[in-house]
Amino acid sequence: MSDEQQPALETHDLTVAYHKRPALYGIDVAVPAGSLVGIVGPNGAGKSTFIKAVMGVVPSSGGWVKVFGKPLRENLHRVGYVPQRESVDWDFPVTVMDVALMGTYGGLGLFRRPGKAEKKRASEALEKVGMLPYSNRQIGNLSGGQQQRVFLARALAQDSDLYLMDEPFAGVDAATEAAIVTLLREMRERGKTVLVVHHDLQSAGEYFDRLLLLNMRLVAFGEVKDVYTRELLQKTYGGRLTILSEVADRAAKL
Amino acid sequence: MNMIEYITLPWDVLGIGALWLILMAFFVALPCSQMGSFLILRRMALTGDAISHSVFPGVVIAFYITGDLSSPWLIVGAGLAGLASTVIIELIHKWTRVKQDAATGISFTALFALGVLLMELLLGKNVDLDLECVLHGRLGLLLEDDRLALFGLMVPAPVLVMAGVALVTMVLLFFFCRVMMLSSFDADLAASFGYRPAVIHYGMMFVVSFIVVAAFQAVGAILVIALLILPGAAAYLCSYRLKVMLLIAALHALLSAVGGLYLHVWFNSNMAASVVVSGGVLFVLAWLLGPVDGVLWKWFKEEVPTPEESSDQVGNRLS
Amino acid sequence: MIQEMSVLASAVDFLIPASGSAKAMMAAVLLGAGCGLLGCFVVLRRVALMGDAVSHAVLPGVVAGLIYSSERSPGVIFVFAATAGLLGAGLVRLMMMSTRLKSDAALGIVLATFFAFGIMWQSRNQQDTVGVMNFLFGNVGSIDASDLRMMLMTTLVLVVTMFFLRRPLLVMSFDEGFSRGLGYPVKLLNGVFYFLLTFSVVVALQAVGVVLVSAMLITPAAAAYLLTDRFDRMLLLSVLFGVLSGLAGGLVSAEVNGLPTGPVIALSATALFAVVYLIAPRHGVLSKVLRTLRRRMRIRRENTLKAIYQIHEVEGFVHEEVSVLMLARKRGLTEDVVRRDCKALLSRGFIDMAEDGVSLHLSRLGWKRAMEIVRNHRLWELYLTNEADYAEDHVHDDAEKIEHILEPGIVRQLEQHLDFPELDPHGKPIPQPTHLVAQPLATL
Repeated sequence: MSDEQQPALETHDLTVAYHKRPALYGIDVAVPAGSLVGIVGPNGAGKSTFIKAVMGVVPSSGGWVKVFGKPLRENLHRVGYVPQRESVDWDFPVTVMDVALMGTYGGLGLFRRPGKAEKKRASEALEKVGMLPYSNRQIGNLSGGQQQRVFLARALAQDSDLYLMDEPFAGVDAATEAAIVTLLREMRERGKTVLVVHHDLQSAGEYFDRLLLLNMRLVAFGEVKDVYTRELLQKTYGGRLTILSEVADRAAKL
Repeated sequence: MNMIEYITLPWDVLGIGALWLILMAFFVALPCSQMGSFLILRRMALTGDAISHSVFPGVVIAFYITGDLSSPWLIVGAGLAGLASTVIIELIHKWTRVKQDAATGISFTALFALGVLLMELLLGKNVDLDLECVLHGRLGLLLEDDRLALFGLMVPAPVLVMAGVALVTMVLLFFFCRVMMLSSFDADLAASFGYRPAVIHYGMMFVVSFIVVAAFQAVGAILVIALLILPGAAAYLCSYRLKVMLLIAALHALLSAVGGLYLHVWFNSNMAASVVVSGGVLFVLAWLLGPVDGVLWKWFKEEVPTPEESSDQVGNRLS
Repeated sequence: MIQEMSVLASAVDFLIPASGSAKAMMAAVLLGAGCGLLGCFVVLRRVALMGDAVSHAVLPGVVAGLIYSSERSPGVIFVFAATAGLLGAGLVRLMMMSTRLKSDAALGIVLATFFAFGIMWQSRNQQDTVGVMNFLFGNVGSIDASDLRMMLMTTLVLVVTMFFLRRPLLVMSFDEGFSRGLGYPVKLLNGVFYFLLTFSVVVALQAVGVVLVSAMLITPAAAAYLLTDRFDRMLLLSVLFGVLSGLAGGLVSAEVNGLPTGPVIALSATALFAVVYLIAPRHGVLSKVLRTLRRRMRIRRENTLKAIYQIHEVEGFVHEEVSVLMLARKRGLTEDVVRRDCKALLSRGFIDMAEDGVSLHLSRLGWKRAMEIVRNHRLWELYLTNEADYAEDHVHDDAEKIEHILEPGIVRQLEQHLDFPELDPHGKPIPQPTHLVAQPLATL
C-alpha cells in the first residue's frame, strides 16, 4: 500500500503515433513519488505528447501506464492535469472562480453539484496563487501570467498526488515564473509528485530535482546532477536522429 | 391608430390565439436558445445549419410512410438522415483531401436537395408538407390545429407537444450543464476526468437533432438555424458568465416570440420569419449596447486597463 | 457609362439563342462557369460556409427587386441582390472585428437573419412576388432573353476579372501573410473576391435558387480538387462539372413537369462528385483502397519469404528445401492458407515448388528478397538499440513494420551509420544480399 515504494508514475514501452507518424518511441520510465521532474527536449520532441499519452488524452499505440502501481483508470482521481494555456478559449464565459471550481469536478461524478466544501477548496487554491481578489473576473480579461495562475489554482483544487503540467512557464512574466517555482517546491514538500514540461534548458537545471530528457525517445532520466551533462544534453538537442524521423515520415505517408 | 392600439392590436385580432402563438414560438425558441448557446461556445454554430438541412429527407420519407406530421417516426427518420450526413462528411473528409467545411457543404446541400425532390415526387401537392412549409413553417397555421382541453382551456395540440420538448431539454440541461460546460471549455481536462468527449459530442448532437426536428414544422428548415444561433450570440455579447448567458438567451427567446407576434400582426407577415427578424433586431441591440461587447459601449469607454499593467501588481503581491 | 452598357448589351444580344431549351443550356453553361471558377477559391480558402451565408443573404435583395421593379427587370434584381449579398459579407466581417463572436456564429447569424427578413418581406407582399419560388429553388424554364443577357454580361465581367487576378488571388488563398509581403493590396483583393463571389451567386440564382447555390460553389470545385494538383486544370474541370450538372438539371426538370431545377442540379453535382470520389486516379477512394490492399499483399509475401529464410537459418542452411507444413508451423497458419501464399510467391518467381506440392525452395530472386527483409529487420533493431537508446525487448515490433518500408537509400545510410555491422542486437547475423550475386548459392 505504501506509496513510497511505488513509483508515482511508471510507463513501459509507451509509444504514440499521430496520424500514423510515430511521435514517441517506447518510453520506459519510473518516476519516484515526491519528486519534481522537468521534461526537457527540443521542439517536436514529443514532450506534450508524453504527458497527454499518460493522461489518455491522446491514444497510445503501445505500452502501458501505471500510476501509484495501478492502471491509470483506477487511480485517475489521484492525477491532476494542467493543459497548455493556449489549448482553451479564453473568451469562454466563465469567471476565475468557475475555472478553479472545475478542478473539483473530477471527484463529483456526473450529477453532484459543487457544494460548500468544493468552493472552499477552490478559494484556498486561488488564495495560494494570489488570484482570490480576481475570482469574479472573466478569464479573458487576465494577462498570460494570471491565466496560468488560474490554471494552477484549478490543479491545486483537484488535490491530486501526481501532477502533469504542460508548459506552465510559457508566456508568463518573471514574477509569475518565480511564484510558480515557489509553488512547485511547496507542492513537493507536501509529498506531491510533479512533472513539468519545460522549454527553457537554462533554468531547467535549477528549477527541478530530476530531469527527463526526451527526443522522440527517452534519452535519459535521473537526478539533475547526473543527467544535466554536456554529453546527454548534446544527445537530446544536437544529435537529431535524421534516419528515425525520415523513416517516421515515410511510415506516415503510407 | 395610436400607440395603445398598436400594442393591443394582436389581442384584439387574435384573442387568446395571440397567447398560443407566443407560447408556441417561445417553446420552440427556448430549447433552441439553450442548446444553441453551447453550439456557439463550441464553435459549432454551423453544425446546427447542417443538421437542420440534412434531416429533411428523413422527415419527408417518414411522413410519406406514416402520413402524420406529428408521428414520432419523423424523429426516427430525421435521426437516420442526420446520421447519414455525419457519415457522408466523415467519408469525404477522412478519405480524401477535401476539408471539413467543404465536406459539410457537399453533404448537407445534397441531402437537402434530395429532400426537396422526394417531397415533390412522393407527396405532390400535399398541404401539410410542401415547399411553403419548408420555408415558412406552420406556425401561422397553429390556430387551425386540433385543440386539447387543459384546465378548462382549449390548448392547440402542437403547443403541448412543444412544451414537452422544451421541458425535456431543460431537464437534460439541468443535469448535464456542468459536464457540457467543462467539456466545451477544456476538453482535455474533461477527458482526464474520465468524461468521454465523443460521448458528450454525440449526445449533444442528438439533442440538437431532436430539437431541430420538433422545431422544423413550426418554423421551417432554414429558419431553425436562426433560433439556434441568435439567442446564444446575443447573450454572449451581454455576459461573461455562462449561467447568465443561458438566462439571457432564454429571455431573448421569449422577447423574440413576443416581438415576432407583433411584427406578424402589424405587417401581416409570416409568423416564423417575424420571430426570427425580431430576434435579429434584438441581436443588433446587443451588438450595439451589450454590456460586454457592445460597440457603442466600447466606444465611450476610452480607457481600458491593459492586462499587462495589472499582472505586475499581482506578481508583487505574491512575492 | 449607360451608353457603353447598352452598346455592350446589344453586342451580346446576337449570342442569345431563341429556343427555350437552348436558353436553358446557355444558362447552365454560364452558371457552371461562374460558380465553377469562384468555387475553386471557395474550396481552397476553406470558406465554403461563407459561400452559403452570402447565397442566403441575397434573398432580401431578390424580394426587393421583385417588388420594386414592376416588369421584373433582371438588372434591378441583380443590383438589389448583389447589394444584399455584399452587405451580408460585410456584416460578417464587421461582427468578427468588433466582437468576440467566432466566424461560425457570425456567418450563421447573417445567413439566418437575412433569409428570415427576405421571407418576412415576401410573405407580406405575396401579389408582387409570385415568381419568388423560381429564385428560391430555381427554375431554368423561367429564364428569358433579358435574364440571359444579364447573366451573360455578369459572367463576362467575372471571367475577365478572374483571368487577370487569378495569380494574386491564388497566392492570397495559399498564404495571406506572404502575399501581403509581396505588396499585394490584400484588403482590396479580399473585397474583389467577395464581390465576385456575390456575382457568381446572383448569376446562378434563377437556375439553382438561393437555397442550393452553395452546392454549386462547393461540389464541382471539390470534385475537381480530387482530380488534379494543378490550379489551372482545377479551374477548367470545376467549370466543366458545373456546366454538366447545370445541363443535367435543366434537362431533367424540363422532362418532369413542375420540378424545381435547383435540387436536380445540386444532386447532379453531387452524383458527379460521388463518381470522382470513387474513381479519381490518385485521390479517389478506390485507388486508395487498392493501394492499401496491394501493400498488404506485398507485406504478406515478404513475411512468408522471411519465414522461409528463418527456417533455413535455424537448420544452418543445410537443406535446399522447406516443406509447406514446416512453413505453416512457422507462420502459425493453416496449410491451405500457406499454400495460397506460396502460389503468390510462385507466380512472382520467388520460389519453385516441387511436383508433389509439399516442398519448395527459394529461387535466386527469392533468396535476395528474403535476405533483404531479414537484413532490414535486423538493421533496424540494431539502429533502435544503439542510436535511439531502445531497450532490446522493445525493438522487434517496430522492426516488423519498418522492414517493409526501408528503401535502399535509407538502408545504405543505416549501414554506414552503424559501421557495416554483422550481428543484430540479439546476436543473429545480418545477411548481405549483395554478396549473393558474387557467391554461388551452395556456399551460403
